[in-house]
Amino acid sequence: MIQSENYDFDAIVVGSGISGGWAAKELTEKGLKVLVLERGRDITPGLDYYGEHAPDWKLPYQGKKPRELYENEYPIQSHGYALNEGNRQFWNNDKDNPYVFDAEKPFYWMRADVVGGRSLIWGRQTYRWCEQDFTANATDGHGIPWPIGYRDLAPWYSHVEKFAGISGEALGLDELPDSEFLKPMEMHALEKTIQGRLRKKAPHVHMTIGRVAILSEDHNGRAACHYCGPCDRGCSTGSYFSSHSATLPAARATGNLTLKANAVVERLEYDAQGGRVSAVHVIDSKTGERSAFRARLYFLCASTVGSTQILMNSRSEAFPDGLGNRSGALGHYLMDHVYGVGVTGIFYDDMDRYWFGNRPNGTYIPRFRNLGGQDDDAGFLRGYGYQGAAMRMDWKTGFNKKGFGAELKESLRKPGPWVFHLAGFGEVLPQYNNRMYLDAKKVGRFGIPQVGFDCQWGDNERMIRDDMLEQGEGLMKAAGAVFTVRMEEMGEPGLGIHEMGTARMGDDPAQSVVNAHNQVHGAPNVFVTDGACMTSSSCVNPSLTYMALTARACDYAVKQLAQGRL
Amino acid sequence: MNRREFMQCAALLVSGVAATRISMALSDEQKHYLARANYNRTPANYFNEAQRRTVAAVAETIMPATDTPGAIDAGVPGFIENMVQDWLNNAERAIFDQGLAELMASTQRSYGKSFEMLEPAQQSDCLEALESAASDSAWYDFGNTQRVFVSDAPFICQMKELTIWGFFTSEAGATQVLRYEAMPMTFDGNRELGPDDSSWAGTPY
Ligand SMILES: Cc1cc2nc3c(=O)[nH]c(=O)nc-3n(C[C@H](O)[C@H](O)[C@H](O)COP(=O)(O)OP(=O)(O)OC[C@H]3O[C@@H](n4cnc5c(N)ncnc54)[C@H](O)[C@@H]3O)c2cc1C
Ligand code: SF4
Repeated sequence: MIQSENYDFDAIVVGSGISGGWAAKELTEKGLKVLVLERGRDITPGLDYYGEHAPDWKLPYQGKKPRELYENEYPIQSHGYALNEGNRQFWNNDKDNPYVFDAEKPFYWMRADVVGGRSLIWGRQTYRWCEQDFTANATDGHGIPWPIGYRDLAPWYSHVEKFAGISGEALGLDELPDSEFLKPMEMHALEKTIQGRLRKKAPHVHMTIGRVAILSEDHNGRAACHYCGPCDRGCSTGSYFSSHSATLPAARATGNLTLKANAVVERLEYDAQGGRVSAVHVIDSKTGERSAFRARLYFLCASTVGSTQILMNSRSEAFPDGLGNRSGALGHYLMDHVYGVGVTGIFYDDMDRYWFGNRPNGTYIPRFRNLGGQDDDAGFLRGYGYQGAAMRMDWKTGFNKKGFGAELKESLRKPGPWVFHLAGFGEVLPQYNNRMYLDAKKVGRFGIPQVGFDCQWGDNERMIRDDMLEQGEGLMKAAGAVFTVRMEEMGEPGLGIHEMGTARMGDDPAQSVVNAHNQVHGAPNVFVTDGACMTSSSCVNPSLTYMALTARACDYAVKQLAQGRL
Repeated sequence: MNRREFMQCAALLVSGVAATRISMALSDEQKHYLARANYNRTPANYFNEAQRRTVAAVAETIMPATDTPGAIDAGVPGFIENMVQDWLNNAERAIFDQGLAELMASTQRSYGKSFEMLEPAQQSDCLEALESAASDSAWYDFGNTQRVFVSDAPFICQMKELTIWGFFTSEAGATQVLRYEAMPMTFDGNRELGPDDSSWAGTPY
């Protein structure tokens, strides 16, 4: 790319997580000089994964979570399941980086603060959206229609999957299109038993092994998984997809990448005359020093809330309500997934079967409700899927029993019955009232206005929960559970960690923030390609879709640039 | 070395006192055992010597050495001292302190001896009595193990939780009582489980 003296870089990418890593890779590989700005600190993959392979006896308090520290410094992050002493270094410190938290109506903003973002700690479940997901808004009238469909994204799904490496089983289902798969992981004995019973007794559901961004075989110079288990502590063999294992090394290999850690992006500067963004303003988190960088293209990949925070904080005469916000949609239509609801069953089958190795993956039952039209017995719109996994009870699930001595020791030493859990993930409707905002009166340590949330689930989400429980119980019976327990309480918004929306995609600039190519309406050299752009939420884990949207937007942006249109 | 002799050694080791100071005659076997490396590596310094001996003996009564290591072999007393010192909050620590003091006083009252000097059956009786008095605590609720801690759990429940947790997450507990494999290299979902096989230790995912 030809360098002009007015530009420091061809493109600037904000954020180095799943989306930002992809933007860096695609843009550098197309020859652009790219600067990645990341607020978190840098780490050396491998060397800095201090929790990796640490056995319990080497963890602080032998793995009992340090409650006082978490209450004081991680009150938000510790509300989710995933923070522990093996991976704490990757998480956001809530004391240092507060936001406006309303205890009456909580939104749990789960975030990382490190180069690589949540790609280091994500659950790695990867599912394509299907055509019905893209047409849902147009069909039932909630939200605005998507300007793109499955056909637009399918080649980009393939593109990112071939690089990332997705292990899974092809099923040929419309409701869960197949990815480009590496060989599937194996099921547990009990999962196979359950799968067999469901085939007979509940033929309308399909149970498959989880589709996961983990290498089941060597791939693109990265080693196959060695099944150590707790991926969220980092993986020095790079066997699961993260920015560190996959996209950033590829970007670095081009020689076109500059990565600046500890670089907090404050706002974008809009040049009304040129009709485009002319600079990004950055604060060094260590020194407080301010600087600005100029580029032809800007990619916002700071995660759903992070990117919208930057747009909202980029006010100008031309955009008094935030960059790209002539529609008033910015910050609104915040979504996540219905989460925390499910059914656990206890099984006495396959008692002489066990496992070897820690499979970092579960099983999946794709959406089976309201497929291709509304089910007669469904009062709710859209649908949900179940993640699930089998394991055997052990001392950790039984230590509160009565007794002492050799007998207790012996009973806790051996595996107990199998348990199989179905965890629902349900689609959330896009609602204007569910929103994030900036609180001008409260600023963070860098003087940037704090984010606040106003978000609550509605009747459709509650009906989805009820159906998840009812259907889940039925499936457990069909599967042969001798006893079932329902997890009835919906997690508060944010806890699904699939937050999305707030800068939605649409053809109409009066109703949306970005266009069909993730380009900000009114600021054509800015692209928002993370979860902020989502117009509806589907029920599948979203990150694969962010990857595909990001790669597609990069391709479009570079073509536009080559044609002199940007 | 019988169990009683072993418990005496353990009491000496965890409290770091010389046998002569509590007028105890040691067998050769005990002397040999005591010459091993000190397995109590934790820097915690919360209990006095008498408390340390009692806590070790309670932990060993909960998870005794059998043909596999027990709580003391696994360093559990040191783990408990650490947890009581640093991890319990003030209210929980007060429950622990009071429970321990009551146990120590009651064995003196009933048997004229400290807990660690009792016969195994007497030790079990003491703990059984504490457990039956605590039996309506929420700590025993079915399925109530996926939480951080039950803050108002009585002393006996605190002791059981810390002992069992400390034991199965220790190196000895994980590798010699349970099974541990850091680098499985493969996943096989259909391994046979023999009638005497232990669970896997560690965090599956
Ligand atoms: C425990 C857990 C499990 C999950 N499981 C799954 C799963 O199984 N499947 C799935 O699809 N998704 C899963 N997710 C969600 C997934 O992690 C996110 O969807 C994904 O990481 C989003 O990618 P992103 O690049 O948009 O954001 P992130 O990965 O969060 O990266 C954003 C980056 O931008 C940086 N940033 C933010 N603001 C600024 C700023 N102002 N200036 C500079 N840098 C900034 C952040 O520090 C961060 O590094 C999970 C998440 C968690 C935490
Ligand atoms: S389980 Fe596999 S992917 Fe996960 S950290 Fe271990 S080797 Fe890496």
